[in-house]
Amino acid sequence: MTLLTDEVRSYIGVEGPRIAACDVIEAGAVRRYAQAIMDRDEAYHKGHPDVAGGRPIAPPLYPVFMFRAPFDSPDYLTERASDPDFDGAVSGVSNGLPELPLHGFALLNGGAEVEFFRHAEHGETVYQQARYVDITERMSKSGPMLLVIVDTLYTTESGEPLMRYRKTLIRRRG
Amino acid sequence: MSAVVWFDDVKAGDELPVLHKGPLTTAHLMRWSSAMENWHKIHYDLPFATGHDKLPGLLVNGSFKQQFIVQLLKDWVGASGWVWKVNFQFRAMNIVGESLEVWGRVTNVRRTKDYGLVDLELGIRNAEGKESTPGTAVVALPYKDGPALPYPFVPPQE
Repeated sequence: MTLLTDEVRSYIGVEGPRIAACDVIEAGAVRRYAQAIMDRDEAYHKGHPDVAGGRPIAPPLYPVFMFRAPFDSPDYLTERASDPDFDGAVSGVSNGLPELPLHGFALLNGGAEVEFFRHAEHGETVYQQARYVDITERMSKSGPMLLVIVDTLYTTESGEPLMRYRKTLIRRRG
Repeated sequence: MSAVVWFDDVKAGDELPVLHKGPLTTAHLMRWSSAMENWHKIHYDLPFATGHDKLPGLLVNGSFKQQFIVQLLKDWVGASGWVWKVNFQFRAMNIVGESLEVWGRVTNVRRTKDYGLVDLELGIRNAEGKESTPGTAVVALPYKDGPALPYPFVPPQE
């Protein structure tokens, strides 16, 4: 039985809203991020010569990972605590897109194509807008799987492009 | 700040300095999950990872490994260069406890009007030499007798 049903296929081309990250780029969040990835670049706290005024910048991929749960969002960890299929992935996956009807499917990161245009600076608000570019089915050693391509453009508040991130998500039955 | 890498000094076959990460423990994975506030269980819940998702162990996040690739490139080009394009595929899993080597090699150099473009192949291999994350990149570097790179970066008309 195919995983690529008409219902799943209908998501191809669907574009999400342009949404803002719930927090501006904060020094503390950048510090924790930089320490986590073990990147000691001084531009993250002392400033970067590209940037007017020498303001500090965020690590290059930071915009992709700053779309976190705002104050008024549901607490999925509690709501789904009894769901044995809940994988815990609650942010950074959907990019504001409607969730595909693949409940219980495992989620793996297949890779990405990234294009950088500008540094994201401390104090800036970052926006994202994503689109399901394609969904295809492949056969792997462990059975059929879906390859879901999501393209997301990250911009500043004024719409200046920061980066484009096209990721491949692998979905297969758990 | 690192020394300027000029396009004029780069040629096909040049190797980037290898970036070493690890051994990566569950604490590293938890610190990364916390920093990005994502709680995907396959990185810290061993029964879920091996039982529900049928994985061989706790996985080193793809989101984590891509940071290393970009760091390798960013550190090499320095503040005077620009990492323009990167792509990578997570072809094999890395399991908690592994040490990783992030590598890159110049495959081609191209001149444009205002700056040079350098094509690279790259990847992440573990201590056994197994490649998990093959990819490619394009970075821009200034000419010795040319202007600074445009900022924000302006891609060439290709």
